[in-house]
Amino acid sequence: MFVSSYRVTKFAAQNFWRNFWLSLITISMLLLTLLTVNTLLVMNVITERAIDLVEDRIEVSVYFQDYTEDTTITSAVAYLRSLAQVRDVQTISADEAYEQFLERHEGDEDILASLEELGENPFGPTLVIKAYSAEDFEIIIDALDNPQFADEIREKDFSNYEEVIDRIRETTDRVRGFGIALSAIFLFFAILIVFNTVRIGIFIHREEIGIMRLVGASNWFIKAPFLLEMIFLSLMSVGLAVGIMYPVLAIIEPRFNLYFGGQSVGLIQYFSENGLLIFGGQFLILVLITLFSTSLAMRKFLKV
Amino acid sequence: MIRLKNVSKLYHPNIVGVDEVSLHIRPGEFVSIVGQSGTGKSTLAKLLFAEERPSRGKIEIGGWDITDIRDRDIPTLRRQIGVVFQDFKLLQKKTVYENIAFALQVAGVTPSRIRDVVPRVLSIVNLDEKLHRYPKQLSGGEQQRVAIARALVHSPKVLVADEPTGNLDTLNSREIVDLLSKINEFGTTIVLVTHDREIVNRLRKRVITLEDGKISSDVEEGRYKL
Repeated sequence: MFVSSYRVTKFAAQNFWRNFWLSLITISMLLLTLLTVNTLLVMNVITERAIDLVEDRIEVSVYFQDYTEDTTITSAVAYLRSLAQVRDVQTISADEAYEQFLERHEGDEDILASLEELGENPFGPTLVIKAYSAEDFEIIIDALDNPQFADEIREKDFSNYEEVIDRIRETTDRVRGFGIALSAIFLFFAILIVFNTVRIGIFIHREEIGIMRLVGASNWFIKAPFLLEMIFLSLMSVGLAVGIMYPVLAIIEPRFNLYFGGQSVGLIQYFSENGLLIFGGQFLILVLITLFSTSLAMRKFLKV
Repeated sequence: MIRLKNVSKLYHPNIVGVDEVSLHIRPGEFVSIVGQSGTGKSTLAKLLFAEERPSRGKIEIGGWDITDIRDRDIPTLRRQIGVVFQDFKLLQKKTVYENIAFALQVAGVTPSRIRDVVPRVLSIVNLDEKLHRYPKQLSGGEQQRVAIARALVHSPKVLVADEPTGNLDTLNSREIVDLLSKINEFGTTIVLVTHDREIVNRLRKRVITLEDGKISSDVEEGRYKL
């Protein structure tokens, strides 16, 4: 068994070297497919991260009337915190709101003069509410219509982040769809090329195969080198994909971090934590696909 | 040893390879199958090593019914039947030694056994001096002897030679037939497919003549009659 395995491996290696350029083309196609799939994965991570960041920034500012009692504010905070959709509620008192306004408009003489003219603090207390996800804001806004404080609320300010998120999702979905289509095309070509690599391999070795059959080589012994060669090509493609992906991630991650305001996108971390699953899975799928294609070619061209 | 009962091979309803052939070849026999081109000699040979399957009838080799032999059992059969062809079927990029070793390698034989068997079969065919030569550095007769040596590596019970002298001159043809006779003397059953009149007449062994896919005569110590 050991001797046969060694010989099968030797024949597979011979197939690889004798059809070097064809092997190279096969690897290139498999690699292109893998890189496209991995680019999709990178895009997925970045999209999720972008959505997380956007969701993290979404907040509703609820401005109360300047005459609102502190007890009303306290009960409003307690009520909001009791909602499952609310992540955090921050209270800004009327004085703090006044100070913040002054800071924001420092140097704007006209506005400061107008404020001076009023003679008193025109701001009421403000609640800044953060939710877990963009979809939760609808519920929170509705909850604030509670008659207990609805009359005390002067204004509710909610930027339409949901639309922003929808737009992110829509764009990434479109790019993802394109990526999937591209992967499918590459995969189709990869299958065709594997099919033809095996076919040419069979053609080149037709004499040896004929003699093998004649002298009683088992079907397994005749077929195994072709299957092994394709497993080897799949392994090389995945190895190259790993070799390309990690350095590329190391280069692009700092740029994305910069884009996300210095926060880590976590691309390398994601690929490190899930590397075995990602590349191991890709190898297995690739092996299954190439073996399918090889079997098809052998069934058609290798009469054993 | 070899038993065929009403065997027919049809390539097409109108194209008959062999037609209702029945014969029995005993162990250790040397049988020549003769006939003009297209009479089914090669088809008959191919049926013996399961290169072709019969359309009808029954084939037994050493008590093994190979009529409907499964694909996975063919290698076992081929290791019991040595086959030699007119065109030698040697690998040009391998030396004499490598060509013979190849037959053992693909059957999973260990390197030490290969080192033992190859020189032995080469000495049977008198080529032990030329084991490092490539096929193109050998004469036609020598190449056919390499092919015979390769056919002998598994110590087959039957050797089927399909026109082994077809590409050889008279002298080389005689040498090959003498070699086959020598192998036969060791106890191997030989089935020689030929249309070489001189060889058949010289052998004075059993001759089965085929005409239009049918056996027209089967004579012990026969002669080429066509």
